[in-house]
Amino acid sequence: MQDKQFMRETLIEGAKAYKAGRMQRRTFIALLGMAGFGAATLSPRAADAAADRIVLWNWGGQSEECHGNAIGKPFTAATGIPLAFDTSGPLQGKIKEMVDSGNVTADVCDGDLFDAVALGQTGHLEAIDYDVVDRAKTLPGYALDFGVSVILYGYAFVYDTKAYGDNPPNSWADFFDTAKFPGKRSLYKWANGSLEAALMADGVAKDALYPLDLPRALAKIKSIKDDSIYWGSGSEAHSMVVNGEVSMGMVWQNRGRNIEQDTDGRYKLVMNEALAMPGAYIVPRGNPGGREAVMKFIAAAQSVPAQLELFDCLGMTPSNPEAFAQLPTDGQPYAITSAENINRVAYNDPHWWGNNTDEAVNGFLDAIS
Amino acid sequence: MAHTPAIPLQARNMWRYLPRGGWLLVAPLMVLVLGLFLGPLTNIMVISVTDPKPGLGNYAALFQSDALGGILWTTLRVCVLTTAISVTLGYCIAHAMIHALARERNWMLSLLLVSFWISVLVRTFSWLMLLGRNGLVNNGLEAIGLITQPIEFMRNELGVLIGMVHYMVPYAVLPLLASMQTIDARVLAASRNLGASPAQTFWRVYLPLTRPGLVAAALLVFILSLGFYVTPAILGGGKVLMVAEYISVQILVTLRWGTAAMLAVLMLGGVLGLLFVMSRFMKLSTVFGGTKP
Repeated sequence: MQDKQFMRETLIEGAKAYKAGRMQRRTFIALLGMAGFGAATLSPRAADAAADRIVLWNWGGQSEECHGNAIGKPFTAATGIPLAFDTSGPLQGKIKEMVDSGNVTADVCDGDLFDAVALGQTGHLEAIDYDVVDRAKTLPGYALDFGVSVILYGYAFVYDTKAYGDNPPNSWADFFDTAKFPGKRSLYKWANGSLEAALMADGVAKDALYPLDLPRALAKIKSIKDDSIYWGSGSEAHSMVVNGEVSMGMVWQNRGRNIEQDTDGRYKLVMNEALAMPGAYIVPRGNPGGREAVMKFIAAAQSVPAQLELFDCLGMTPSNPEAFAQLPTDGQPYAITSAENINRVAYNDPHWWGNNTDEAVNGFLDAIS
Repeated sequence: MAHTPAIPLQARNMWRYLPRGGWLLVAPLMVLVLGLFLGPLTNIMVISVTDPKPGLGNYAALFQSDALGGILWTTLRVCVLTTAISVTLGYCIAHAMIHALARERNWMLSLLLVSFWISVLVRTFSWLMLLGRNGLVNNGLEAIGLITQPIEFMRNELGVLIGMVHYMVPYAVLPLLASMQTIDARVLAASRNLGASPAQTFWRVYLPLTRPGLVAAALLVFILSLGFYVTPAILGGGKVLMVAEYISVQILVTLRWGTAAMLAVLMLGGVLGLLFVMSRFMKLSTVFGGTKP
């Protein structure tokens, strides 16, 4: 990361020197070559000279290609505004730091809806303009003042068919029952999803989860601690399963299909009682591209074709109800909002998490370490 | 032994003028260091007593919260163990290198430096492939029937220690090597000549002579270990929470910047305190390769 940053700065300095006539064209081109011009132009900070554009701050990996095709292309075709990426991951602390420093370089963050609650009430975000963005194009309760859910992802689990083939697990209660289903488990390290799963396993109804009973959830987590390991990123969750480190692993639902393919069907995804998470677009206060353009971008992300393409490319489930019926048949078992899954999943409450993340995460870390 | 080299008169005159000119020469660097390093550092100290509200609340939490105590204890335990093991291994390696032929020594040094340059992420994942549940070692041992259940090398504190020691050994070897190179082999010959056994020569002559190198290696390894992030996070399987990862979570996820700043100040104070204590027992300048005592 640091050398990437260094290259960016070198390039910007080089560009300035070239513009001011302090550097020869040949030298500048050589500098571009050395710094890997192709990679650098994709990063927003190198292209400071370009004026009108929207910078999407997301998590890298395939998402650059997928968001670029699904949302970027139609958006640019309609408005003439190009889409650029910052793939360093918009964690809450980074957004807060960016806004506090006054040097806002991103227009829209691919975050969680609970980020919109937490950072909205501290004044770090621009309000969503619901004259441009459509409240009806997301699930009820997921269009908030400072953020709107444009996709859903989820916490589900996969199990080893070789270990439990005859009597497969089908609920979080089975996941937490290491007597009936012996073997290792993996859970998410930063509490999200893990707490809800623990409560459902302990008998809490899926629509009565909030406010979360933290002590009860943590006690359940501790009960299988000796058999658990914990992951911090999607790729880590993936590799724990694919490398056979666990017999049941909590994963982000959109990776379920890849895991089934990578293991030739040995591991299978269970969508029953998965926790649906509203992935949201949120706008840091004072974004460089201006409020009008970024709202149009968010509206473009709500369109049915964009949502279906994101599902195809990344496995992120559409949040626009119009898209639900158009999900491809072979993808329906893996989608949160498909007809077969929409009524058996639980739904995350962004308000509870927006106000209680610190206690929940710290309590969880204390319980597992 | 007290042998002071005679400084020529001309050079002495030069020394008289150098300080003033010297300060001017380093002034730009000093300004840079003060501005870019001490400035943000002061900011962190300020945050630790102002966020979320002014006062010593963040520091008081150290004594009220079992969680923070647990994290600090884990960090200390892992770092002390890493230091002890790395320095011991490093001592053996450095000792072997000193007594090898020049050609072999160069080979050993190259191998050491190559491992020094491999990224910490690559090493971490290599250990998983080698010692994981389905890793080469476990599969091999199962295949020849030595074990029926895989041995839990990784995703626990043992895994963290293996990964950290592997990373730290070169850091321990280099100062020890430098220190051992300065030892006059005739001293050891003299010790044997005066009737000491090989073991006595080692414990009573060689080891004390390498003490500055030992202290330097231990300090270097310990201080670097305190800041370890990636290795404990991955090889610990989420169960070995060290202070660096905790600080990052408090900044990025829970937005408790006051707690993070307090822990950072505590680490800084701890390291400075450690240096101070060491300085009571020995001249630190010898440790860092300065003037001889």
